Amino acid sequence: MDFKDYYEILGVAPDADNKAIKTAYRKLARKYHPDMNSDKGAEDKFKEVAEAYEVLKNTERRAEYDELRRYGGRTGGGFEPPPGWQSSSGAGGAESSYFEGDFSDFFNSIFSGGGGSRQQRPGMRGQDAEIEMPVFLEETLAETSKRVEYRIPVYKNGQVSEIKKSLDVKIPPGVRDGERIRLRGQGGAGQGEGPSGDLYLHVRLVPHPLFDVEAHNLVLTVPLAPWEAALGTKVTVPTLSGKINLTIAPNSQSGQRLRIKGKGLPTKAGSGDLFALLKVVMPSKSDDEVNALWQSLADKAGFDPREQWGKQS
Amino acid sequence: MTALIVSISVHELCQYEGLSEQIVIEVVDHGIAEPIAGADVADWVFDPTSVHWLQKAVRLHNQLEIDWVAVAMVIDLLQRNEALERQRQCLERQLGRFLE
Repeated sequence: MDFKDYYEILGVAPDADNKAIKTAYRKLARKYHPDMNSDKGAEDKFKEVAEAYEVLKNTERRAEYDELRRYGGRTGGGFEPPPGWQSSSGAGGAESSYFEGDFSDFFNSIFSGGGGSRQQRPGMRGQDAEIEMPVFLEETLAETSKRVEYRIPVYKNGQVSEIKKSLDVKIPPGVRDGERIRLRGQGGAGQGEGPSGDLYLHVRLVPHPLFDVEAHNLVLTVPLAPWEAALGTKVTVPTLSGKINLTIAPNSQSGQRLRIKGKGLPTKAGSGDLFALLKVVMPSKSDDEVNALWQSLADKAGFDPREQWGKQS
Repeated sequence: MTALIVSISVHELCQYEGLSEQIVIEVVDHGIAEPIAGADVADWVFDPTSVHWLQKAVRLHNQLEIDWVAVAMVIDLLQRNEALERQRQCLERQLGRFLE
């Protein structure tokens, strides 16, 4: 076990006063707090910083630590508390507010009177776990069953290891992107008689090759030939539940949205809608004959798409 | 098959998350989480998504030592950020389809 220099972790001098320690902690905590910083490693860094603050903000604990620091500084290499070391300040009061008992072995060896192993309160509830669960749009239409696999830490005889768990989960219909689903007792195991934590599934809708999601509505981009937009037509369009016929009115515009009622995603208050977003596309090739037809159209249509510009200048 | 928990009572919330009723009241008073049912504190029921934000709020309050008004602002901004990010990704995909 390495000796942890809490002063170095907080970036303060060993004779820093409480105010300087608090300021340093706040600055670093804001930077690395896992709720504010999703970078890998930020959480570990935050725990380290919070642990350092937990020790240094408490006068009694800090005095004990300083004593050990003088001793630890001399030993070089691995650190062990001096024989017969007993903390009088202990870790009391720290667990609940800071990191739910997740202190480093170094901290525990000093303040819990233990022999370097992770000491957790007997009967303590296991930690909640959260994992992302990709869900396909088709799976939100009706209740579906889905297998999720995840890893959770288990504590045995003071050692931490990970086990792989696999569960079949019923996904309720109409589940939304970003929603959280809670599964009782499927998180980390509790200590002794303590109950297991819960598992949170964070729902992420998988991007669909055809449909985009806007709340409980779907958007489908429908490509149209210029003459289809001009003359109107009937198009067979896919929905999440089979194909339907869509009537395109004459003189339709690119970017126009046509509403198809009830073909969106299900919600508690009925289904959302499907919007067909029209997109006029030009043929990528043409020949002399086609160009001649475009030319005669240009001559006869009398259409200036930039008429508005002329008015403004 | 594992059953889903659709709602969590205030009692369970306090028991499982080690929170006091007073903290839950603070969080609700500041509009960070809203019960989906229950007129009195003792009958309050929350959905899992609000529990997620409630836990985040309590962590921020304890670990960053910031007051509830500031926590409420941070949570509000985090939620807005999450919503904007979702909207951005959606519009980007739609624009991609339009330009392809």
